[in-house]
Amino acid sequence: MNGRSPVRASRARFNGRSQNTVSFRTQTRAFGPVSNTIILIVLACLLGLLYLTQVTKANAYGYQINDLKDHKSALKLENENLKVAAARLQSLDRVQNSAQAKALVATTPSDTVAN
Amino acid sequence: MALPNTNTAHAPLTSVQRVRIWYGFLLLIIAIFVVRLFYVQVIRYDHYKHAALSDQLKQYEIPASRGIISAQEGGQAVPIVLNIQLYTLYADPTFIKNPDTVAVKIAGIIGGKAQTYSDLLKMKKLRYVILAKKITAEQQAKILALKYPGVGAQAQNYRTYPQGALAAQELGFVSDSGKGEYGVEQALNKQLAGTPGELKAITDISGVPLAASRDNTETPATNGTDINLTLDLSMQQQLENILKAAAQKTKTQHASALIMDVNTGAIKAMANFPTYDPSKYYDVSDGSVFQNGAVSDPIEPGSIMKSLTTAAGLDMGAFSPGVTYYDPAKWVVDGFTIKNIEEDGGAGTKSLYDLLNLSLNTGATWELMQMGGGEINTKARNTWYDYLTNHFMFGKETGVEQGYESPGVVTGPKDTGSAINLTYAETSFGQAIQTTPIQMAGALSAVLNGGTYYQPRLVDSYTDANGKTTMVAPKALRTNDFKPSTGEALIPMLQYSIQHHNPQPAFDQNRYTVGGKTGTAQLAVNGIYSATEFNGTYLGFVGGEKPQYVICVYMQKPKVDYYAGTAAAQPVFVSLAHMLIDSSFVTPKH
Repeated sequence: MNGRSPVRASRARFNGRSQNTVSFRTQTRAFGPVSNTIILIVLACLLGLLYLTQVTKANAYGYQINDLKDHKSALKLENENLKVAAARLQSLDRVQNSAQAKALVATTPSDTVAN
Repeated sequence: MALPNTNTAHAPLTSVQRVRIWYGFLLLIIAIFVVRLFYVQVIRYDHYKHAALSDQLKQYEIPASRGIISAQEGGQAVPIVLNIQLYTLYADPTFIKNPDTVAVKIAGIIGGKAQTYSDLLKMKKLRYVILAKKITAEQQAKILALKYPGVGAQAQNYRTYPQGALAAQELGFVSDSGKGEYGVEQALNKQLAGTPGELKAITDISGVPLAASRDNTETPATNGTDINLTLDLSMQQQLENILKAAAQKTKTQHASALIMDVNTGAIKAMANFPTYDPSKYYDVSDGSVFQNGAVSDPIEPGSIMKSLTTAAGLDMGAFSPGVTYYDPAKWVVDGFTIKNIEEDGGAGTKSLYDLLNLSLNTGATWELMQMGGGEINTKARNTWYDYLTNHFMFGKETGVEQGYESPGVVTGPKDTGSAINLTYAETSFGQAIQTTPIQMAGALSAVLNGGTYYQPRLVDSYTDANGKTTMVAPKALRTNDFKPSTGEALIPMLQYSIQHHNPQPAFDQNRYTVGGKTGTAQLAVNGIYSATEFNGTYLGFVGGEKPQYVICVYMQKPKVDYYAGTAAAQPVFVSLAHMLIDSSFVTPKH
């Protein structure tokens, strides 16, 4: 007998374990180059899609703006036509030839004639 | 003993090797793309940008709206020139399958002869024919609703005149190219036209600008300035009616008249006969009718000049208002005899009142002599020339806002050996000098208002595109041009003159101040004064306590039995003066 009991020998063995004689590897998951490329492409597509959405929306507003401009021009034109019509209705010739004007009675101005 | 197997070509590739090969292949493809894109987008950037923009980038002019023109009516501005959008109807004959049918349909909508349209539509060698101009929006819509291939309409702005032909020559017109011609339209074309804007934009296939483009640029148009004239509409209308009636009655070839505010130089009415319709200017065959003769047609004014000769002599102190002188009834100057008309009688003592009332040529010559100390000499010529050009402002444009203004003609005082004294003697009674009615009115106004020469003007205010209105203040070109006493002395002389010329009806001088002078100028035919052809003129004023308006009338070659000034021009003045009084434009004396 060497003086060591089997229990002690076992403890000694376990003591050695608790001294980290064996390392535990942490398991990490990394993407490979293909996955990275695909992810980048997908992201680029998403960004492109976002850009296209915004551009399309902006252009849709552009059409609305264009319609509103056309409407504004039409109203302006109508306004000018009404101004012309109003001016024609008030023209001196029209007033002079109106029924009211023809019903007026001419008088000889006496104020300007010397007595 | 067998040799070791060194042939690895047929050895199966591992999966890692296969991935690496595809990976390398992918990188190669990407590299090719990168290189190609670098070439296209960086090296050939300018080329491809230009090629793309040439298809997509459109450039539009944003037209500026031409300013409108207004005149006065009862203290308010009334538009007399406005803009209206009409359409030009065009066609591409190569698209028209049944020209006759199309022509009949078009004629049914816009009028005109179907055959004319049909002939145009059959011109298959042409790609663009104009079928009609100035069709209305309704007509255009009806025609386009027919959906004939190759038929279209182009919008275009035109001027429209709600008052018809009123003040046509003062307004002028706008040509098809958009340029103002004659009158205010020409003189103030820059202000009226405004500045066109510009739109550069990436567009879709139908030409609608895409909002998301960074290359879009828009410079808005600046609309033209609106102009409010000094013309009074009712005064203008009555002036035109009176002038037209008188010109037709006297068979006058060309007549001009104007009414000017004595104290501001503002022209309240101005007209010519014959006139034209500015909305149909293209129908006018005689281009001279476009001219505003009152500013662009100088003639020898005749005896109305004697009013100004008298004013000049009084102003410089050559004689006093109460002076009398011996008139010999003829003067011989440079070998030529200056004499009077038979009705003036013979030699005798005359006053300035007689001089103006009898319209003595010898009297005006005597006045010129007094300017030279008793004879027509260098001093007389220089002094008179100074008054003509620097006080009355003859021989230079007045600056009134009209196209083609004429400065008139004033002969210089230097003796060049061509009977200069005779020429100057003639200028004293309105021959051998050419002036326009507006010059004469401006000159008399300066005498009557106490001595300020106001620049004749037609514009009362400007309103810019932002709505800011700027009033035009009377512009005194010369102050102290005449002594106030000069006008005060001249007024009763001209009142005396008209009272002795039998105006019909007469004027009540107790309530109004009305005066004036006739002029009958012989016409120079082939360098010799004619004994049968005359111009009749009149220069006078009307007011209450003081003269308010100066009226000048020119009647060219009237067919009358008596002196043209008295028979043709004076009736126009009398009618205009009564019109101003009857329409309450004149404030009577208290």
